[in-house]
Amino acid sequence: MGPLARLVQKEFRQIFRDPLMVRLIFLMPIIQLFVLGHAVSLDLKGVRVSVLDPVPGPLSRRLSQAVWETETFTPGPPVATPSQAEDLLVQGRTDLVLHFPVDLERRMRQGNGVLGINLDGRNSAQAGQALAQVQAVLNLEAARLASGWKGQAPRPGGVTLQPLYLYNPELVSRYQMVPAITILLITIISAMLTGMSVVREKELGTLEQLLVSPLTSRQLVLGKTIPLAILSFGELAVATLAAILVFRLPLEGSVLLLSGAVFLYLLVTLGGGLLASTVSSTQQQAIFTVWFFLVFSILLSGFFFPVANMPQALRWLTWMNPMRFIIEIVRGIYLKGSGPADLALPLGMLAAHGVGVFSLALWRFRKRVA
Amino acid sequence: MTPVLDIRSLARAWDGKPALRDLSLTLQAGGMLGLIGPDGAGKTTAMRMACGLLRPDGGEVRVLGLDVQRDGAAIRPLIGYMPQRFSLYPDLSVDENLRFFSELHGLSRDQRQQRRERLLAFSRLEPFTRRRAGALSGGMKQKLALACTLIHEPRLLILDEPTTGVDPVSRQEFWDLLGDLARGGMALWVSTPYMDEAERCGHIQLLHQGQVIAEGRPAELSASFPRRILRLEGADPQAVRQLVQAFAGVVLHRFGHSLHLVCDPDQEEGLRLALRQANLEAKPQPPTLEDAFFHAVAHGSLAA
Repeated sequence: MGPLARLVQKEFRQIFRDPLMVRLIFLMPIIQLFVLGHAVSLDLKGVRVSVLDPVPGPLSRRLSQAVWETETFTPGPPVATPSQAEDLLVQGRTDLVLHFPVDLERRMRQGNGVLGINLDGRNSAQAGQALAQVQAVLNLEAARLASGWKGQAPRPGGVTLQPLYLYNPELVSRYQMVPAITILLITIISAMLTGMSVVREKELGTLEQLLVSPLTSRQLVLGKTIPLAILSFGELAVATLAAILVFRLPLEGSVLLLSGAVFLYLLVTLGGGLLASTVSSTQQQAIFTVWFFLVFSILLSGFFFPVANMPQALRWLTWMNPMRFIIEIVRGIYLKGSGPADLALPLGMLAAHGVGVFSLALWRFRKRVA
Repeated sequence: MTPVLDIRSLARAWDGKPALRDLSLTLQAGGMLGLIGPDGAGKTTAMRMACGLLRPDGGEVRVLGLDVQRDGAAIRPLIGYMPQRFSLYPDLSVDENLRFFSELHGLSRDQRQQRRERLLAFSRLEPFTRRRAGALSGGMKQKLALACTLIHEPRLLILDEPTTGVDPVSRQEFWDLLGDLARGGMALWVSTPYMDEAERCGHIQLLHQGQVIAEGRPAELSASFPRRILRLEGADPQAVRQLVQAFAGVVLHRFGHSLHLVCDPDQEEGLRLALRQANLEAKPQPPTLEDAFFHAVAHGSLAA
């Protein structure tokens, strides 16, 4: 075995010898995924539904009764005006408000009944599920009603809900969160641990020993990054299995494409960790440097807030953020089954970022320490 | 014979401030050269440049005739460098540390085994092979670091303050090991802030603010101290202080029960006479390396 293989072997030996490291790498992500996953997949029960019905009639009464009779929903306080509906939602005294139009029956007979529904979007996943269930109940009941109107309408009974979310209008769902969390975990592992492990050798003085050994600086960089790349792929495998088995996410696209994209992304994070190590002389500095960039990357990645909703200036800024592209890619692969052709732009951007950052890191590393 | 280490006019500045000015030296096989100076004198800067870890602003370093800047790869097997801080992995055992460094240098299994035995015996670390390096005492850590540095049998050993923070007994033991290495034909370049350690080197250079202000064999250097030292036993410091006030430039130091009076050679007779009148008998005290060093630092050289 050459010196590179020896260095990789030593890195693994050190990682697995440190019980904190092992827990950090393997246990924490699993806990995080489960906690976050559990938080967003709670079953709905006892959701309070209020009704805003300016002209109460048998039709609206029957529809709201149908909703209230299910296990999921219970009656909320009555609402008289739209502004009162908003107040109750903001104060948390009700969870959603059904808004019946005055001419509901006429519209339903024409086949295009539209109800307004106000929801609190802060708990996005719950709101999304509630909306879907109200819709299902109303459709069922409307169809029953319509069976008594035969012959009177060509497409009778259609009821559509027109949701109005307060806050979080884009409604991020668990399906969008879990793939993105996977990326976040990989980012932390690869960038932070690379930075820390290089700076640790600086602190110990062993880096200079390695530099005067026959190891070339390229071998040194590879020896430091390969073990963490391998661990990151392990992390990806665990998180992907958890996403499919525990969170029932449909993995529509190709695992191979997912791995390829993650490889490109790892060039960015491993390179970023190396760059952090060249400007840091203690592990704390390295962690802080990585953390600083991490926060901006997350906020500008579409992880929480869709890029499309950002102000123009920030939207331009996201082009400099590789995390934006990898999140776009994993969401595409998971949820839409996107292939390489659909993802050509983000893949290309990610490749450019990866090659750029890693080359820069290699060059800086050589210059700084050698 | 080609010197093992040959440094000519080496210079380096940090942010425009010179850290090392015009350092030149030659070191032959079996020689031990000491680089002595206070913290910040430029010792580490000089040694890092000699190892090729730092690019010099001027001058050149040759190891067995090879240029460190140009032939870096060829030089690496020839030098062992022990940086100022402990250079080993605290979470790996003594054996694992030795093994990692021997593998890094591409030694065969037989070579590894053979050198491991020899270095463990040499450093007296055999009973601790399975212990984690982090759990070793300061002196043992230092010996392990030395063993790791020696595993590829370098011709030149560069040690940057190897015993800083180590207890006196372990320091003694460590320097005995270095003496063995030099007798075995290795060339050693050692930096230290300790004068007792400097005395053990064949040749020393006093480095101050990046410049060599004096150099030579330790005995030569202490002998070239340009002033005289008189020793008084059991005298009353207050009375002596009063007495020497008449002599400009005489310095009084206390060493336990004895007093050292440092004076210029032309003051010696008068001072002795004055002391004798006060019933005090002063004996000449041979200067030490430390006396020479402090004088050189204060006056910029060992000239009178």
